[in-house]
Amino acid sequence: MSDESKGLSKAQEIYLNRSQRAKELKAAGKKVIGYPCVYVPLEMLTALDLIPYRTYGDIREPVTETDRALPTSFCSIMRTCLDCALKGKDDFLDGMVTVHACDPQEKTARVWESYTNYPYFHFIDMLSTIRPESIEYFKSQLNDFRKTLEAFTGQKLSADKLKPAIKAHNQQRALVQQLYELTKPAPPLISGTELVQVVKALMSLPVAEGNDLLNQVISEVKSRTDGPKRKPARLLIWSSTLDDTDIMQVFEAKANVVMDETCGGIRAYRGSVKLTPDPLDGLADYYMKEITCARTFRQATLGETKKDYKKDIQSRFGYLKGIVRDWKINGAILLLVRYCDPFAFEMPSLRDYLDSIGTPSTYIEYDYTIGALAPLKTRVEAFIETIS
Amino acid sequence: MHFAGIDIGSTMTKVVLIDTAESILSSIKGPTGPEHRRLANEVMRTALEQANLKLDDISYIVATGYGRVNVPFADDQITELSCHARGVYSLFPNVTTAIDIGGQDAKCMKIKKGKLFDFAMNDKCAAGTGRFLEVTAATLGIRLEDMGDNSLKSTKKIQLSNLCTIFAQHEVVALLSRGEKLEDIIAGLHDSLASRVAALAQRLKVEPDVVLTGGVAKNIGMVKAMKENLGCELFVPEEPLLTGAIGAAILAKEIYAKAAAKGETISTKPRRLEKATFFS
Repeated sequence: MSDESKGLSKAQEIYLNRSQRAKELKAAGKKVIGYPCVYVPLEMLTALDLIPYRTYGDIREPVTETDRALPTSFCSIMRTCLDCALKGKDDFLDGMVTVHACDPQEKTARVWESYTNYPYFHFIDMLSTIRPESIEYFKSQLNDFRKTLEAFTGQKLSADKLKPAIKAHNQQRALVQQLYELTKPAPPLISGTELVQVVKALMSLPVAEGNDLLNQVISEVKSRTDGPKRKPARLLIWSSTLDDTDIMQVFEAKANVVMDETCGGIRAYRGSVKLTPDPLDGLADYYMKEITCARTFRQATLGETKKDYKKDIQSRFGYLKGIVRDWKINGAILLLVRYCDPFAFEMPSLRDYLDSIGTPSTYIEYDYTIGALAPLKTRVEAFIETIS
Repeated sequence: MHFAGIDIGSTMTKVVLIDTAESILSSIKGPTGPEHRRLANEVMRTALEQANLKLDDISYIVATGYGRVNVPFADDQITELSCHARGVYSLFPNVTTAIDIGGQDAKCMKIKKGKLFDFAMNDKCAAGTGRFLEVTAATLGIRLEDMGDNSLKSTKKIQLSNLCTIFAQHEVVALLSRGEKLEDIIAGLHDSLASRVAALAQRLKVEPDVVLTGGVAKNIGMVKAMKENLGCELFVPEEPLLTGAIGAAILAKEIYAKAAAKGETISTKPRRLEKATFFS
């Protein structure tokens, strides 16, 4: 097999054994920093030769240890992430960076810090609306992050170091966007399941290795003849996190998943960071404005008090219209991981917006466990029956 | 030509055989139960005997319900939501909203032009399902089938504060010890279940005609409570357990007819009555 035809199987291998490369790099003297959320600017870690490693939970692992630290009616993702950490599954990490993306993550951060023993721990605060003040505040938080990173590594995080890191991560974003272009044909050239494997592999590797992997995958996918079969529906999945192939296969059993709006999918890779004289300006702007997670509220007009619901939902979800058109999506599944308030609050308005552009959608709640997949399957299949 | 629908629910297995005119030739209901859940073939055999047919006489078979995936002699699997919608529409052509309360779930379906258009289902726990009544009937020492008539004697409104099945059971015990009358407690239980299902249905905006199906629709007290909670009239089929299987049989006929109209050969499973491998 040439390198060009090995990308997908390599991604699958890394997906199945995610921490292996990070552990190898650690053995070779590198430091690995975990992060559980898309809002941590990885560029700042890469610039200091730290290896970013996205921590996920495990849908197969019953949550037990977390019960001594977190309530049961609490974000399923945070519960499983912390559970894995408490069971020592992330013990190879040299540090952890969490962010105030949502209240469960903010509360869990304090617990995480006190129950684990990583040499480095940092929490980034951030506001939840897009205003000049919130971008300015996020920049000040990134400055604090810079200081603790400098203290941890003993290195200066200069603009000269940050700029190439930003370029490398922008290159990764561009490559992921190219990869998602390959889901436009019918049938798509790459399945949603394979995309989860590739994206989770990227989140386990240093950026340069990730970019090499992406180049291999793109080249292989472009010329493959064994791609997904055409199914009766082309779906968009909107969720906080969809990072497991068993969950993705529930959707792909009777449909092609051609686009997602999830962590574990394209969310971390839309747009690109502007290279500004002070690189932290570009980073603050990108992470506050470009990442389309429900935790950030995109208000219609700054300071406007008049209610205009149509304008409001257009401002919050308008970016999906072009996606629905270009990827020929005929149904959207809004998948709520139980007790995720930010996504639950967005759900009714998002359904209204999708209705307004003529895209059928369904809303499904589930616990982040393998046992919850059977009822999920019936709901998904019934929805596909209504649109196909 | 003949068509079959087989609905393997969590509590009951149902089979309906129809002909091309959609007349029901036979219908069978049997408990799915732990020992019976592998016996879809037996239920089908009984239905065939009743209609004086052989399995080879059936042109197309659709399986639905919780156990639809592993019926070896079914030619296609369609979710119970689409099948209930189709079955209800065949019985009540003006229906726009159907509510089915089964053993382990409650579902609300919006129907447009005879087809499932939108739906909502209960969360995974037993609150809002037939199991809620089964569990509390056992606590009250009353047969499930007697709950409906009994509740109609109620003269006092008792509101249960717990929707969780287990907590409601605790609450029922407390009400009994307080000396509350059985019929008032049962009416309270019906109202509690109905309010939960009505809230689920209102997510989809309930519009008449509304049809109630599923085993719970056989409980006259529950029908009354659902009417009160929805604030509208309800239609109940003569046999509310069978709508899923009827819909599956009609969809089997439609799939077969569509393929025939296109001149396509439709693939079917070997006509052998093998055991279902549910949960295998």
